[in-house]
Formats: sequence, structure tokens, C-alpha cells
Amino acid sequence: MPPAAGPRVIESDVCIIGSGISAAMVADRLARTTGASVVVAEAGDDVPSLHHRPALRDRFLRYGESPWPADHLEGYEIEGPLQSRSMQVGGLAMHWGGVTPRFSPEDFRLRSLYGVGSDWPVSYDELEPWYQEAEEVMGVAGEQGPIDMDPRQKPFPMPPLPLTYNLAQLKEWASGAGIAMWSQPSAKNSLPYRGRAACCRNDTCTPICPVGAKYSPDFTWTPLRRSGRVTMHPRVLVRRLVLDRRSMRVSHAEAVRRDRNSTPLEFHARLFVVAGGYVWSSHLLLLSASSRAPTGIANRSGLVGRYLAGHRNVQAFVALPRRLYPGMNGQHSLVTKQFMRTAPRADGRYLRHDLRVWESSVGRTPRLRNDAGELMLGDEILHDWRARTLGGTARVRAYYDVIPDRDSALTLDGRRRNHHGDPLPALAFRDASESAALREWSEGQIRGLIEGMARSGRVR
Amino acid sequence: MTRLLHSRRAFLGRLAAAWPAMAIVRLAHASAVEELRTDSRTLAALGESVLPSALGSTGVDAVVGDFRRWMSGYREEAEILHGYGTSKLEYAGPTPATRWMAQLDALERRARARHRSAFGELSIDQRRALVREVLIGEKLDGMPAVVRAPHVAVALLSHFYGSSAATDLCYKADIGRDQCRPLGTSTRKPLPIAARG
Repeated sequence: MPPAAGPRVIESDVCIIGSGISAAMVADRLARTTGASVVVAEAGDDVPSLHHRPALRDRFLRYGESPWPADHLEGYEIEGPLQSRSMQVGGLAMHWGGVTPRFSPEDFRLRSLYGVGSDWPVSYDELEPWYQEAEEVMGVAGEQGPIDMDPRQKPFPMPPLPLTYNLAQLKEWASGAGIAMWSQPSAKNSLPYRGRAACCRNDTCTPICPVGAKYSPDFTWTPLRRSGRVTMHPRVLVRRLVLDRRSMRVSHAEAVRRDRNSTPLEFHARLFVVAGGYVWSSHLLLLSASSRAPTGIANRSGLVGRYLAGHRNVQAFVALPRRLYPGMNGQHSLVTKQFMRTAPRADGRYLRHDLRVWESSVGRTPRLRNDAGELMLGDEILHDWRARTLGGTARVRAYYDVIPDRDSALTLDGRRRNHHGDPLPALAFRDASESAALREWSEGQIRGLIEGMARSGRVR
Repeated sequence: MTRLLHSRRAFLGRLAAAWPAMAIVRLAHASAVEELRTDSRTLAALGESVLPSALGSTGVDAVVGDFRRWMSGYREEAEILHGYGTSKLEYAGPTPATRWMAQLDALERRARARHRSAFGELSIDQRRALVREVLIGEKLDGMPAVVRAPHVAVALLSHFYGSSAATDLCYKADIGRDQCRPLGTSTRKPLPIAARG
């Protein structure tokens, strides 16, 4: 009887686990600056190529169908507010909105400046060149905001997406309320960029750009794969990282091929990059616990999966006595850092937020019953709709900073397992005490700000 | 031919309701889709009654034709865009064509019972009165998603009013939502379109 075949071994200099936007940035840099051989293990499938996307978008618009069907693994219904089920080549960034805000310098010094959270071990200035490099790889179109609010060493790679007629109106409105706003930086081409088309306002950036004007990681992967600089292994689920017998370095990754009866694979590399996103990176590190690393790989601090943060916001729709034309480029917005780059308050309370404004059709869509509750048919619907669109609506949203608790965490869920018997992750968000205590007050402050904007808008 | 098809569809629909075996249900669905796609005079007459007159007869025909294409293109069990912040997946349900065809049949029966005439031969006001009757008690305010519309009349309205063309008609402006348009032209107010309605 022949001996049972062992797992197939794939060797490289670098093995990247996951193929989302971070993985793409790493691979791109490795390809530009080294001769390293790079393999990528991705649990999900390959994505449809660009020329299929107009038809996929059409199905989405007409029927609400997912333009990325089968972009998930079966049996991964997890506990907690998972941001997205999506798992595919390119990751979540295949259907991101393409919005690329940087952190502000203050984000790195929260403890020093505001007495909350923690300071980072790096500063904004140290990170700044890397922001710039990523923006150049993606192709970010942006407007330089006021220099005191929007510090940059170099200009954006592309001029900003122009403000639509609607956004120009809304900028004027915000300015009247004392708020300086500008075009939201976005990884969407305002000009043709590196072989990709300019944006033409299809306005379905989320979930799919049909022309490739919005950056998605497949635009990095495709040339790297074609040139042989990167070998991608889609449908390969990495289950565990294994430590070298003589050191605490990872020697290989154990994986299975999802499309071949779970055929085992091993990735051997000098360097491993875990780039599975905010859920699956921590999940893999925790799954890789062993007798020598009982709490998981890279987790001597016990912090893997902890301090899980979301992006909470307060949103309002403001009726304005200005005629707007919803649909001009509805996913593009205005932004200000006025409330993010703020000095500590005299009362010691902590509140910082990014304020954004979009055009909106809320309250101005067609309806079937009039104010008296009578059913309308024929011309009645159109006349009613026209009467309600003489004014406009602004969507205002403030993403405010929330300090997560140490126990805001991803943990392994012993009750739910995938097809291979591995525990799935469970997510539980929790605010740190300083944020929990301020939540009601913070949201009240933001609502007050928006109400002030609304009042100023009524006076023309 | 239409009457024969109608009879076959009605028979399959009744059979599927009485004995909901998968194969029969599929046949009933396919038959309903086929009739909606090829020849439903009641649907065309319904379009004339509920859509805005600003469309003109050509515009109404175009909307009804696009609604038929929508119906033909519907894919049961297609994966629906999964939401942000959830691991739940959703799939498209059975085609709504079967229940919509039954509702069109019911409108015909009501027209004949009330006016001894086909629905399409009634005046617009008479047709609207019948539509209002069948929608009494429906919880309606905004336009529902087409597939969730409780009645074919509402589905047709939702189909039209959810379109880029409807928005342009409302604003009497060439906004062109959902269309590929140059970035540069977005800075000015959308151009007015010839006054209609």
C-alpha cells in the first residue's frame, strides 16, 4: 500500500494571507522594490472581470441582485455585527465606497491631548509618506482643504472630483453656518489614471463601479498576476499558522483548497503577511494557538482581537429652501475636519467628528398617498411629487470618535464552527467607559450642531 | 390564441395552488411570465390608467414594455446584495408574475361584472375607480420595491417611478441619474428638458 500523500507544499519568499486592499498595497510595494517571490492565499473566489461589470450593475439596479454573487463562504453566519459577509479576491474593497479620509494628527495623540484612549507609537508625520504612497497606488482625487485642517506634504495624485451643482449649493449653505467644507477625497478617477477610466457619475460606487474609475484591489492584482510577480491562490482557506520548531517565527501556513474536496496545502515562506481584514486576521491569529503560543500567534500581549472599533455616526436629513437635483453624483460628498482637528474643550469632555454632507432625495421621492391619506393615481402622483421637490434635502452625517473598551473584542465562538471544525469568530462591540459616559451628550451636541445648520439654511 | 394561453395559464395557476409540486409551480410561473411578456391587454390598459399622461401613449407603451422585460428577466433565487453590518444572506423569491397575472384576471372579472365590458374598453376614470377598489385596505405610502408591491398596479408604478426617466420628468431636467455622464458637466444645473405635462 503506497504511503498517503502529504499536503502539497507551495514555497515563496513572501506569503500574503488575504487579498483585500492592504494585501494589494503590500504586494504592489514588494513587486516594485524587491525581487521577492510572492504568493497570495485567498479564501474567496476570483471576481468577474471589468467587462462583465456593466451587466452586473444593471442587474443590481433593476433587481437588487448582488453584483458579486457567491462572494462569501457557506457556513459563516457569525455572531455579532459583521461589517460584510464578503470574501473574495479584492476583499471588501471590491464594493467599498472609495472614500479615503486620512487620520488627523490628533488621532495619534489622544491621551496626551485629550486624556482619553492611548497615544500611538507613531506620529502622523511618520505615517504621512505611506498615506501618500497608498493614495498614489489607488489614485486618489482630492481637494486640498484649509492647511490648518488638512495637512499634506504633497498634492493629491489627481485633482478633486468636481463639486456637483448640488454640492456647490450645500457648500454655500454650510459656509453660511460657519462650516468650511470641501470635496471628499476619494479613490475615484477625476482623470484617466494608470490605464483606468475617469469617473462618469454612474453613482453605484457602492456596490460596483462599471467603468473601473473607482479603485479596487483587482486593478493591482491583475497586472501583478499577469506578469508573474504574484501567484494568487483563490479558494484557498488558511486554517492555521504554524511556528518554526526552533523559533517563534511562523514557518508555514496550513490551508485547504475549497474546490478540491478540502485538499490540504502548506504555504512555506520566509515572511508571512496576515492581511485578512479586521475580522479574519485576528481570527486566524487566535486559531493558530498552540502549546508554545497558547493565546495565539503574535499575541503575547493578549491584545489580538481586542479594542474592536466601529465608526458610529449621527445622521440627519435637513430640508432646505433650495432646489436640488438628486442623482447628479449622489455618492460624492463634502467633508470638513473642523470638528476633528479641535482643541481640548475647557470642560474636559471629549468630542471629535468628521462631518460630511451629501445631496439626498429623502422626503422628496414619489408616493402613493397624499397628505390626506388618499390614494393617488395617474397625474396626481407626478403633480404631488413635483410640489414636494421645489426644495432640497441635505444628508448630514457626523462620524464621531468612540474609544473602544479592551473587551470590545473578537473572540473564538465555541458554539459555531465552519465545515472544517474551526471555531468561527464572535464580535462584541463595547465602548470604553469614557466614551460610554459621553455618548448621550456627544450625540446631543452633534444634533445641536445640525439643528443650527438647519436654522441657518432657512434664512436666505 | 390569447384566450387559449389564458386558459392554460389559469389552469396551471389553479393546479399549482391546489397541488404545489415544484414542477407545476414552475410551469405556472413560466406561463404567467410568458403571457405578461407577450400579450396582456389588461396590463397595457392598466398602464394607461395609472401612469402620468405626460408620458403620452408612446411613453406609456415604453414603460409597460420595460416592465414586461423586467418580468422576463427576473431570476428566482438570485443572490440579493447583502447588507452592511450583517452576515445574513438573502435570495430572490418566486417570480411575482403569477400573482400579478391573477390580479390582472381579477381586474378583468371586476370590469365585466361591474360594466359588462373588458377592462381596456372602460374609460380611464372607470379603470382608476376599479384600481382604487382593489387597493382599499393596502398599506401604501411610498413606492415599495417592485418585487414587494402588493398589486400589479403598484408594481407598475414603482417600476416607472423608480427610474431615471421618472426623475427627469419630475424635475423637467436632464439629470440622467444612473447614466454614464461626464464629470465636468456636473458643476452646472441640469439642463431643462422640453416642458412635458
